[in-house]
Parts: sequence; structure tokens; C-alpha cells
Amino acid sequence: MAARIPAAKPSRWRARGDLARFTVIGLFILFVLVPLYWVVITSIKPSNDYLTVPPVWFPAEPTIVHYTAALFSYRGLQGLVNSLIIASVSTVLSAILGTMMAYSLARFNTGGQHLAFWVLSQRFLPPVAIILPIFLLFRSWGLYDTRFGLIIAYTFMTLPISVWMMYAYFRQLPRSLEEAALVDGLSRWQTMWMVAVPLAAPGIAAASVFVFIAVWTEFFFALVLTSRHAFTLPTVFRAFLGFQGAQYGEACALATTSLVPSIILGMLVQRHLVRGLTLGALRG
Amino acid sequence: MNERERRDFDAGLREEVDCWLRGDTSRRTFLTRLVLMGGAAMVPGFGYTAGNAWADVVDLSKVGLADKSTPLGQAQDAAVKASTEAPTEGSAYRAVQAAQKYKGATINMTYEAGLQALEPKNFSGPLWQALTGMNYNVVELPHPDQYSKPIAEHIANSGAYDILDIEPAWIPALANGGVIVPIDDYVSKYMNQADLDDYHPLYKSITLYKGKRWGVFDDGDMFSLYYRKDIFGDPKLQAAYQAKFGKALEVPKTWDEYSQVAQFITDQLAPNVYGSAHFRKFGSPGNQFSFLQQFRANGGKFFDADMKAQLTGPAGVTTLEQMIAQNKASIPGNNDLDAVAQWAAWLQGKVAMIFSWPPTGRISSNYAQRDKAINFIPQSTIVDKVGYATMPGDNGEMASGYVKALAAGSNNEEAAYLYMQWNTAPPLSLVRTMLPYTLRDPYRLSTYKSSEYRALWPSANEYLSHLCDAANTGVVDMIMPGWQDYALSLDRMCTAVWGGQDPKAALATAAAEWDSTTQRLGVDVQKAAYEQFQKLPGSYADHTIDKLGQSVHVE
Amino acid sequence: MLDPISVTDLATSGPLPPPARWKGGGAVSAWVDQHFKWLMVAPAVLLILALSIYPLLFSLWVNFVNYDFEIPGHDFVGLQNFRQMVNDPLAWSSLLTTILLSLAVVAIEFLLGLGLALAMVRMFRGRGIILSILIIPLFISPVIVGQSWALFLQRPFGPADYLLSQLLGHPVNISWVGEVPWVYIAIVIADVWQWTPFMFVVLLAGLAAIPAHLYEAAELDGISGLRVLFYVTLPQLAPIIFLAVTFRLLDAVKLFDVIFMLTGGGPGTATYTTSFYLYQIGFQQFHLSAATAGSWLFLILLSVVIMVLVRRLLRAENA
Repeated sequence: MAARIPAAKPSRWRARGDLARFTVIGLFILFVLVPLYWVVITSIKPSNDYLTVPPVWFPAEPTIVHYTAALFSYRGLQGLVNSLIIASVSTVLSAILGTMMAYSLARFNTGGQHLAFWVLSQRFLPPVAIILPIFLLFRSWGLYDTRFGLIIAYTFMTLPISVWMMYAYFRQLPRSLEEAALVDGLSRWQTMWMVAVPLAAPGIAAASVFVFIAVWTEFFFALVLTSRHAFTLPTVFRAFLGFQGAQYGEACALATTSLVPSIILGMLVQRHLVRGLTLGALRG
Repeated sequence: MNERERRDFDAGLREEVDCWLRGDTSRRTFLTRLVLMGGAAMVPGFGYTAGNAWADVVDLSKVGLADKSTPLGQAQDAAVKASTEAPTEGSAYRAVQAAQKYKGATINMTYEAGLQALEPKNFSGPLWQALTGMNYNVVELPHPDQYSKPIAEHIANSGAYDILDIEPAWIPALANGGVIVPIDDYVSKYMNQADLDDYHPLYKSITLYKGKRWGVFDDGDMFSLYYRKDIFGDPKLQAAYQAKFGKALEVPKTWDEYSQVAQFITDQLAPNVYGSAHFRKFGSPGNQFSFLQQFRANGGKFFDADMKAQLTGPAGVTTLEQMIAQNKASIPGNNDLDAVAQWAAWLQGKVAMIFSWPPTGRISSNYAQRDKAINFIPQSTIVDKVGYATMPGDNGEMASGYVKALAAGSNNEEAAYLYMQWNTAPPLSLVRTMLPYTLRDPYRLSTYKSSEYRALWPSANEYLSHLCDAANTGVVDMIMPGWQDYALSLDRMCTAVWGGQDPKAALATAAAEWDSTTQRLGVDVQKAAYEQFQKLPGSYADHTIDKLGQSVHVE
Repeated sequence: MLDPISVTDLATSGPLPPPARWKGGGAVSAWVDQHFKWLMVAPAVLLILALSIYPLLFSLWVNFVNYDFEIPGHDFVGLQNFRQMVNDPLAWSSLLTTILLSLAVVAIEFLLGLGLALAMVRMFRGRGIILSILIIPLFISPVIVGQSWALFLQRPFGPADYLLSQLLGHPVNISWVGEVPWVYIAIVIADVWQWTPFMFVVLLAGLAAIPAHLYEAAELDGISGLRVLFYVTLPQLAPIIFLAVTFRLLDAVKLFDVIFMLTGGGPGTATYTTSFYLYQIGFQQFHLSAATAGSWLFLILLSVVIMVLVRRLLRAENA
């Protein structure tokens, strides 16, 4: 699906083009990796080496004690597990509900502009205005500090992303296959799930990745709506940065650990990501 | 299974199911535990003879106690004895006894997340459980949420917390808001007067507000000056100083001397050693503490008779100018340091003087850095080189501190109170301030005098005696409603000045913010609160424990 | 200029025809089909309603009463909360900072993202791995990003000034988190670090979908190099650019976590953004009525902007 840039260019241009290209990529990779390197290396430094002049680029005595401490002595593991569960389930729920709504909006123009706008507008009230009532709501419904409660909250929060991205993608899908299915006697429900959704799968995958990212990295609602049971990774991270003492090694260890599922997910979907975001047009 | 075993099994099963429904455990863990419990129930007596033993013998196997040959181990042993045997009129014993009737109850206590929470999770909580059969939960919160979360829970009427770890300065706001309740009745019922008197005088009345007692004080966060004896004692430096200023190089006694000495040392010894380092970074720790202590040492008063802020007066200007001079004399990057980075520079031997919280003494001697798993600071390269001195200008700030307060709406008020009393009782307080990883600092006379503590490192006796003296002339935070807002204005003012803003303009902005806060809360309300505050020992430099004639000195 | 939504013979708008004949199911199935479009939106709508009605009503109520932890009672105060917000110079400076910062970061992210996308659109060996590395920052919680940059930029122990000193040959002692204008640069760098990959991914997908025959036609016409970029690529990409910039802008105005961890709004109040400001007064200090009023004002402002942008977006989709 990649555009074939025509090959007939003068070789001088090609060489310069390549140089420019790889310089840009190379510089940006450096930009991405340098702070990451600092975080990862801090996580294996003994505490003598965190704060030194000149900086310690590689510790003489690397240690994994911060990992064991962060994960096992300081709730890191449970936070990681909670985050994984909550993010996964929220993503699935958001995808399902979002797909259904997006299909309806795309094919039937349900509710016109107003419904679409209303869904999108959920994202834009600053959290501080609703955080206390949501907290009170959760308390009275028994959802406070439960994974289930947080899943509901995150599904709610990410519906706008899901709906909008999938809506755009459904709109670009040609109707011929769906029309054929309906003519063949499939119900609308079956048509949606058996024809439209498979065609839209890359787009759904792309939207789901962004939903997962949004939930995986969310901090504020997790801080307020959880306590000892359903807390997530970002809240544990915050706990390491205390009033009179900050544990940089543990914080960086947790940050590094949280990268692992992210990198795996990223590698799995990066192909679909590129394909799936083709919102402009779908061509053969 | 007999009847009691069946009841225990059912209770355990119900708890497991509840856990699972709440999402605490995975299904696999749940099933495993179920099978184990079922299996345990099958084998006659297995797992339940231990339960029988509870009533008779305290099972300390789950509590991590130090070896009895060490000072810490001895102190822990004494604490256990005080809780279980004697003295029977001690507050530890009385609390444990009275708590027996609450066996099986659960108390929830808030704590700052991370390092602070280590102690209740690894020592106090398990020990209390072994002594009384009560269950406990440590709710970990970032520091600012230790203020706002209890308020939110109070609004929700949830009864989620029983004991709140709070700053003393929050007491008026929380008391007025009904989030905490007074403990006077419980104190008169259970507390031992001698133990109440064992508090350093500065801390004894700090939890009093509107004539009631709102909690038990639990952390003597006195700022002190720590200096390098070897640097100050260096003959070459002394000669150079004498030549330049015509007097001896000594630990500074006034703030101007402090900047002068620091600048001198920096000029002489940079880049190996700098005169000083301060935590100037935004947020907690917070510049408000440093500013307030110097402001008061310079004679400043917060408000006038009409509750107008007095920051823009000469005391305010002098204070900021002195702080700017201090910054100039300090290690490069001084304005970015937080408490940990300041300690790192100090422990690496790069700085000749710092003022900070009491853990500075423990970490300087390398006592605190014993456990690799919780080391957050470097090993000390200045062991045995550190001296302790009173703050320049005399009045160190008791910066923040902690109080254990009783949450309104708690379902286990008395049980919670008993834990509070036990946990802050002299023998327990001693142990908790002696733990290597602790961030709690001594606040009891018995701790200052304790031979176990003094055995921790060679100059520990000096350290303790000095902390006691520091509290004699110490000043406390502004314990009034609106403290959060006033403090934020000061912190923002300071960071603006470090960023280059003119001090007078910054003071004016802060004063205006203070005035609008006062207006918002009600001038009369604040006036009454301010009058209360002024009566507290430590409110101002002319109203310290020392000036009130109540000084205590331990050798 | 070709309309990017190509007008093919495959209609993509208008309702689907009703199903021809029933293959299965009974009355329920038929009923589902008849009310299909509403049933599909129902679950999402119900969830949103359930979680938004009470909070919206509550916060609307809070707008007009006193809801401040330190002032007892919930007396009706009319428009006082709004007035307090409008009269607070910090509210306005936060708004200005928010606008300037978000425009800056989105512009930079767009340019960098476009450059990267153009560089990566041609297949080369290792592109997959490089792609995986480039999108890592997206997966990191913004609080972690803020703290990591704080650690990196801190003095005297952070490596940033040290590295700069080595690179430039003379000692560098910039206070990245304590002095204007360096704080702004630090915030922009941290945000650009995290979000350029988003722009990059969206734009790359758009680039990849531009049909090859357009480039072939351009080549035949003798257009090459930069002119191809301006006359073929960018126009084709326009709707995607619009979508990406809109999404990113609407997120950038909520800039909070980086400020929270890196600068705390400082020095002074120089880096207060609207989100940080509202959080500070609403949740840290519990002056909830003022913060709620401020939030609603901000929402109204934002809604106006959204409506304009979204209408354009919808129109582009519908064209």
C-alpha cells in the first residue's frame, strides 16, 4: 500500500534525499532514546550513582534491587497487573461499544451532527469540574477502588476516541459488500459484524491502540478513584516521589517495567497502525 | 471440623469471596486458597491450633525484629515488654489492654506513600496485630492528597479512614471542616499524664485548637544546621578568614554571617566544596519553610492588627535579600535542588553547611543507609565529620511534622484512638525513630535521653541533645485555616525570585494573595484564628519555648 | 486538486437498503433490525449518560453556590464564582500560556512529524524496527515523561547541562526548570518528545495512502523534488493533517502532567496552564466552586473553538 515514489530521479538528488532522510530519522531516534536511556540506566544504578557530577553513564556495580523493591516491596507488581487488566478490558469494551455506535453514525447518520458532537464533547470538560461528583457517584454505587469501576470510567472516557476514529473509517468503506450481504438476507446485525467489521479491522485496531495508550497512561482519575486495591501503575510511580525522600531508582525501575508491555504491543500493531490509519481514502 | 473451626473457615471463605468480587485476587489465587483452606480444615487441628495460641502468646513471627544484641533490638524488646507486661500504668500497656476487646476489628490509617509507609507496614502494623488481634490497612497517599482525600471521603460520608496522618498546620482547617474529631475524652480515659508530659514542650500543645486536643504529635521535624567540622576546623581556612574579616571562622550565628561564611568557603574551595546548598525547588519541601523561619528571625510578623499581610515590610525584604545571597554562595544548581538532591550533595562532601530535617544526622553517620532495598541516598563520605548547631538567627522551623488525628465518621473510633496512643507511646516512639529507614524524628524527652538511641553512632548523643535544644528556640508553621493557600503564595513568590523577579514585586504579589485569601475566609474568622496561633509556643521568635521559660536540656 | 474522498461509483453515504428477505430469526430479530441504528448507539449513549448526568448537574449546581471546604455552607452566590475567575489575573495568564504553549507544541510536532513521515514513507530495511522505537514515547504515562525529563534537566546532577557543556565546549548552567524562557523550552521539548510520534503515525498513514498514479502523473508533467511535495503530497494529505492537528490541539490545551512534574507551574506562576491552575485551586486547595466555574468557562471557550473545527472536519468527511 506504500506509495511508490517514482524511481527516475537524478542520482545527485537521490543521494542527497537519502542523506536528508536518514539524518532526520537518526536525529529523532537519538532524541527519543537519550532520555529513555537515562531512565533505564538510573533504574540499575546503586543509590550512590543517581545524583553525581559528572553523571554516571554506566554504573560500576549495576543492581536489580530497585526492580525487586519496586515490584514486590512497593506494590509495583500489583499496579502493573491492575493496569494491564484495566487497560485491556477497557479497550475491548470501548472498541465494542464504539464500533457499534460508529457504525450506526456512519451508515445511518443517527442523531445527525448533534449526537456526534455530544459524544466528542465529553472529552473537553476539565476533570477538576467533575472529579468530585464522579468520586461521590462511585462511592455510592460501590465502584470506588474496584477494577470494574475503573474500567467503566475509562470506557466512558475513551468512547469519544473510539467512536470518532472508527466513524471516520467506516465512512470510507464502500457499501457494496454490505449491500450485497443485506440483499443475501443477512440481518443488519450480522452484516455489521461479519462484513463491515472485518473490513474495518485495521482501523479498529488503530483506534484500539490509542484507547489502550490513553488508559494505560491515565493518572488523575486513577489517583482519585482508587486506593489500596485497584490502583494503577502511574499512581505507584507517583508514590515514589515523596515529600522528604524520593526514590529515583525505584521510580525508574517501574517506568522501565511499564515500557515492556508497551513495546510488545507497539511491535505487534505497528504494521496495522500504519495501514489502519488510512482515513483519507481506501483504494485498491 | 468442630463448630469453631467451621465458623473460622466460613469467615475466611466469605472474606476470600469478597476479595475476589472486589477484584483483589485472581481467580486462580482464590481457588488455590480455597483448596488450601478446605484441605487445612480436613486435617484435624491443622491451622487452627495456631489460632488457639493467639489468645495466650503474642506471635511475633510476622514482625521483623532486630537482633536483641543491637540497640535497635533492645529498644524493640523494651517496647514489646512495655506493651505486654510493664509498666502497667504506661500508655502503651493501657492501650494494648483496652484494645483487646476490639480483636478482629480493622482500622484504616493514611500515610504518605513510599518511604513513610514502610514503617507501619513492616513494624507497627504487624506488631499491633500480634498484640491485639486487630487488623490494619495502610492507605498510601501522595503528600498533597493526605489533605484533600480525607476531605473528599468526608464529603462522601464513607467512613473510609480511621486515623489520618496530617500536618499540624492542617488542624484548624480540618477541625473547622469537621473532618477530624477531638480526642480529649479518650485521652482522659486512657492516657498516662507522665507520658503526655514526656513530649518536648514545643510539641505538647501543638495539637491544641479552640481548647480541644485534635491528635497526637508524631514527628519532630526540626530544622537544624549541620556543618562540616573538618572544614571549619581547617587551620588554613581559619587564618584566611581571620585575615579577611578580622574575626574567627565560626559556625554562623546570624543569617548575614551565614551568607558571609558560605560565600567565603565557596570562594576558597570551589569547585570541590561549596559553602552551602538549599532546597529551593517548587512544591514540597517548599520554600515556605525556609522563608518563614528567616522572616521570623528577622522580626517579621505575618499580619497586623487588621489582618493585613505584612510581607512587604523590612523583614520580608531583608529575608529575600538574604536568601538571594545564600543562593549565590551555594553549589551551582542550588535553585533546582530538592531535599534529596541537597542530601546527595551533602553526603558526597560537596557542601560545608546545610540546614534540613533531622534525618540529616542519621544519614550523615551512614546509619540510615543500611538496607540496599530502600536506599534513596548515597553512602555518606562524611561520617564523623559532621557537627550540629542551632540555626543562624536562632529560630529553626519545625517544618511540617506529623500528627495522628482521628477521622470523623470512623467506625472504630476508640480502637483507632488506642492505636494512636500506643504507637506514639514513649517506648514505641523510641523504636520508630530508631529504625534505619524511618523518616520519623524524635519528639519525646525520653527519646532524647535514651541510651539505646545514643548507641547508634558516636555523636548520636550530641545529635539528640541538639535536637532537643533546637526545639527550645524553634518556631512552628502557621497553624491557621488557609495555611495551604498562604504557603502556596510563599512558594510561588520564592520561585519567582529565583527565576529573576524583583524581590519587592514578588513580596507585593504574595501579600496581595495573602490578603485575598484572608478576605475569602473572612477577616474576623482569621483574626480569631490568628490570635489563637499567637498563643501557641513557637508562634514567633519572641514566643518560643525558650522565651516562655520552659526550655528543656538533655546532656 | 483531486478531492481526497474519491467519488467512485461506490456510494458511501445515504442509508443502507433494508434487508431483502429474512433468512432466520423471528420477531425479535426483525425488531432488532428495524431499530438497528438506535440499538447500536444505545449502549454507548447509556454509559455516557449514566456517568455524565449526575456529575454535570452537580457541577452546574456548584457553579452557583459556595463550595469551598474552608467556608462552611453551600449558600447560593449567584455569579460570584464566575466573577472571581474572570477577575483573577492568574486565570488569564494561564489561558494565555495554554494557548501559546499548545500552538507551539502542535506546530513543532506537526513539522517534525511530517518530516519524519516523509522520511519513512519509502520502504527500507529496518523500517519496522525503527517504527517500533519511534512510537515508544506514546506509551509512556505523561507523569513518567515529566519526571524523566525533570531528572534529566535537573541541576547539578542531571546530564543535560553536562552534555551541553561538553558539546559546546564551555560550561553551561541553564536552569531548565527554574528560569524563563528555559522552562518553556523544557516543557515544549518534553511534550514534543512524547507526542511527535502521534503526528508521525497519522501522517505516515496518510502518506502511504496517496495513490501512486498521482506521483507518476506529476513525474510525467516534469515536476520533481520539493514541488512534488507542495503540489501533490500536501494537498492530498490536507484532510489528514487537519484531523491530526485538531486532535492534537484539543489534547494539548489540557497540558497538565508535564507541568505538574517538571515545573509545578513555576517559576512563580510563569508556567501555569489552565488545567494546572484549575487543578491547583480545585483539588489541592479544595476551592471547588471557583474551580468549577473556571472549568465551565474554559469549556464554553473550548466548545466554540471545537464547534468551528469539528464542523469543518465533518464537512470534509461529508464532501
